[in-house]
Amino acid sequence: MLEVDVARRLGAFRIEARFATGPSIVTALFGRSGAGKSSIVNMLAGLLRPDRGRIAVDGTVLFDSTSGVDLRPERRRLGYVFQDARLFPHMMVRTNLEYGLRRAPRGERRVSLDQVVSVLGIEPLLQRRTHELSGGERQRVAIGRALLANPRILLMDEPLAQLDAPRRHEILTFIERLRESFSVPIVYVSHAMEEVIRLADWLVLVSDGRVAATGPVEELLSRLDLRPLTGRYEAGAVLTAKVAGGDEAFGLTNLAFPGGVLRVAKLDLPKGSEVRLRIRARDVSLALSRPEDLSILNVFKGIVKELGEDATDEDGSQIDVLLDVGAPLWARITRRSVHDLGIAPGREVFALIKSVALDRHALGLRPATDRVGT
Amino acid sequence: MNLVRTFRSLALVALVTLLAAPVQAMAADLVVFAAASLKNALDDIAAQWQRETGKTVRISYTASSALARQIEIGAPTQLFISADLEWMDYLAQRDLVKPDTRANLLGNRIVLIAPKESNIALSIAPGFPLASALAGGRLAMANTDAVPAGTYGKAALRKLGVWDQVEARVAQAENVRAALVLVSRAEAPLGIVYQTDAAADANVRIIDTFPEDTHPPIVYPVALTAAASHPDAASFLAYLRSLAARSIFEKRGFTVLSPSPRRGTS
Amino acid sequence: MLTPLEIEALSTSLRVAGLSTIASLPFGIAIAWLLARTSFPGRGLLNGFIHLPLVLPPVVVGYVLLLLLGRRGLVGSWLYDAFGVTLVFTWQGAAIASAVMAFPLMVQAIRLSLESVDHGLEAAARTLGAGPVGVFATVTLPLIAPGILTGSILAWARSLGEFGATITFVSNIPGETRTLSNAFFALSQAPGNEEAIVRLLVISIVIALVALLAAEILARRVRRRIRGTSRA
Repeated sequence: MLEVDVARRLGAFRIEARFATGPSIVTALFGRSGAGKSSIVNMLAGLLRPDRGRIAVDGTVLFDSTSGVDLRPERRRLGYVFQDARLFPHMMVRTNLEYGLRRAPRGERRVSLDQVVSVLGIEPLLQRRTHELSGGERQRVAIGRALLANPRILLMDEPLAQLDAPRRHEILTFIERLRESFSVPIVYVSHAMEEVIRLADWLVLVSDGRVAATGPVEELLSRLDLRPLTGRYEAGAVLTAKVAGGDEAFGLTNLAFPGGVLRVAKLDLPKGSEVRLRIRARDVSLALSRPEDLSILNVFKGIVKELGEDATDEDGSQIDVLLDVGAPLWARITRRSVHDLGIAPGREVFALIKSVALDRHALGLRPATDRVGT
Repeated sequence: MNLVRTFRSLALVALVTLLAAPVQAMAADLVVFAAASLKNALDDIAAQWQRETGKTVRISYTASSALARQIEIGAPTQLFISADLEWMDYLAQRDLVKPDTRANLLGNRIVLIAPKESNIALSIAPGFPLASALAGGRLAMANTDAVPAGTYGKAALRKLGVWDQVEARVAQAENVRAALVLVSRAEAPLGIVYQTDAAADANVRIIDTFPEDTHPPIVYPVALTAAASHPDAASFLAYLRSLAARSIFEKRGFTVLSPSPRRGTS
Repeated sequence: MLTPLEIEALSTSLRVAGLSTIASLPFGIAIAWLLARTSFPGRGLLNGFIHLPLVLPPVVVGYVLLLLLGRRGLVGSWLYDAFGVTLVFTWQGAAIASAVMAFPLMVQAIRLSLESVDHGLEAAARTLGAGPVGVFATVTLPLIAPGILTGSILAWARSLGEFGATITFVSNIPGETRTLSNAFFALSQAPGNEEAIVRLLVISIVIALVALLAAEILARRVRRRIRGTSRA
């Protein structure tokens, strides 16, 4: 576990960040550009010195201003994947990869070159010069290089920011594989919520140099008060569910979550597998009574918790409604419907879910986003 | 590519400097070119001339060879005083000086010097033990093939039969003053310079003076240049041969060859 | 084809310029590093001091060397007493004189390339477990190789042409310190040497052009290895 409590002044900007990573493998540091995420990561890596504070990994103190501890970057053993890859231009790809490996203590070389090369699919690049690589290839090599240093934690500072969409998708896939193949904890910095939802379990929300909230991704994303910070991605609820068997005859899979059982198109997963679902607000409709003669399979009874303050579209005709169906769920309905149905906090309603997005399998095998119609 | 650009601009700077150099001397002044060894004496004389007549003179000092070559390419100078006959002859052959104004102005002597605190004792004579007196050190001289002070010294050592023994020990300086510095700083235990140079430096002492018959006469000839047109040129030349100038030259260690006009001979 | 004098002067020149460049390189890199990467009181003074040889007449530099490194000089007397080393009148002394004259050019070129090195690469190397010395040796130094090469070539070329400081400090001794420039000067001082002067001139120009061309090709190759292009 990583425990951080640092303060640093950068001109007029102040960073005062205090957080700890959760029990999960991937912790996301999420915030807008200029929120201070990179500076925080640089302080973790030892590239920027905090004015005061303390940083510790699994009980090992990396920095402590009161006791005067300040390990040099090379002693911290934190891998760092930079936004701009930073491959050494005068070395072959292979030499780049081996740079950190050769400097890792012998006893701690758990990750081998062959393993990394095969997981990241960079075998054909080994004898190439770095300037011959595409952006995506460079980033894969950079990830491999950081991983081969056998770090305690892998820091990734917006590793996808400089890539185009197809490349981003490709690298995301590799990062997911990484999580499964190597048990190195990852601190993933991003300002793109899509990436965070797909990769992370634990979220640290950074705003104006401060940590606004820390907690499981699902929990923070369903907090209305954090919407100004978590916004800018398509509103929806994020749920974790378990494969609870199937309906072989109709080719369906049942997913159990705290609100009941979701029925989705057949998943090739063993019973008990955890998956993460995202149910977008616009895919959820509301009814005051349990509807019958309906094609929609997933209907859950719940209570209205809150109404979104602001209109969510340009002409102000729609509103997001937070429900509790045993788990948080968002519905986007028209202002007219709110009025006609008398939607207000405390009101009992039925949520009709038109489709479920499967963001990833928390411990599963299939990496990409699948949309499952129901 | 940077390199090429750097060199191109360096070359340009060099060219501009070369072209601009002759222009620096202004046409309106009386300009004199004089051998470097005359500096102390001529500065005094020019100052005195100015006090007496109110007229100014600009004197440019450097090696006689360089001065002669500048006159050859048209430097706007009125008067030339060379440290040897060779370069004056060089200009005379090219009709660049007025032959009727030419005269041998001064004479000088070459001397063997050592640092002030040195206890070397030698007297110059044929076959004198110069090499062993060096004791592994260098003999400081002006360039023995090109600079007059060096060529005179080489001729003298040859005549005395010691050149072959010391040739390999000679450190040839750019000019006679640089040779003087080497001895003055005690980097070289012995050196050969003009008597006038030795007189100007308190850190050296003269061990002995070379007999005049061991080398060609050391003569400083003077002449107006062919292009001389400045009204004061002739009067300054006359002043150089006056009694007033004579005492200054002698104070600096020169022998005055050109008889004073007041004694009536030419 | 060449006269014995020409061969001797040429080999002396090459020897002096070679030693001068090689011996000043470590100092050049160190000073460039200080100027490019650190700030300390007196940094501007050091910078100015390094550049003095560009401003001062070479003869003055030679004279200062004589005062410092001469057998009676501040440092020179100590060198002589402690190690029996004399620099005045030796070709090694000539190398020092031309190294001092060429030093600003070398430092400037290396400094510029140091300033253009991406600090991010060095930071990346630190996070991969390399200490400051290791980073310098494995990342910084290879990346400034083109600058080092350019600086060395400039310094070498400057050494080859050095005259004023050399003749003042070590004078002109055949076989020891008579470089091409020295021989050139001696010939130019006496009338009637026009042919010999032109021959020396041609030799100097040929040597300089061949060496600079070879260096340019080498520099281009190094740059291509590092950046994958021939452009700096």
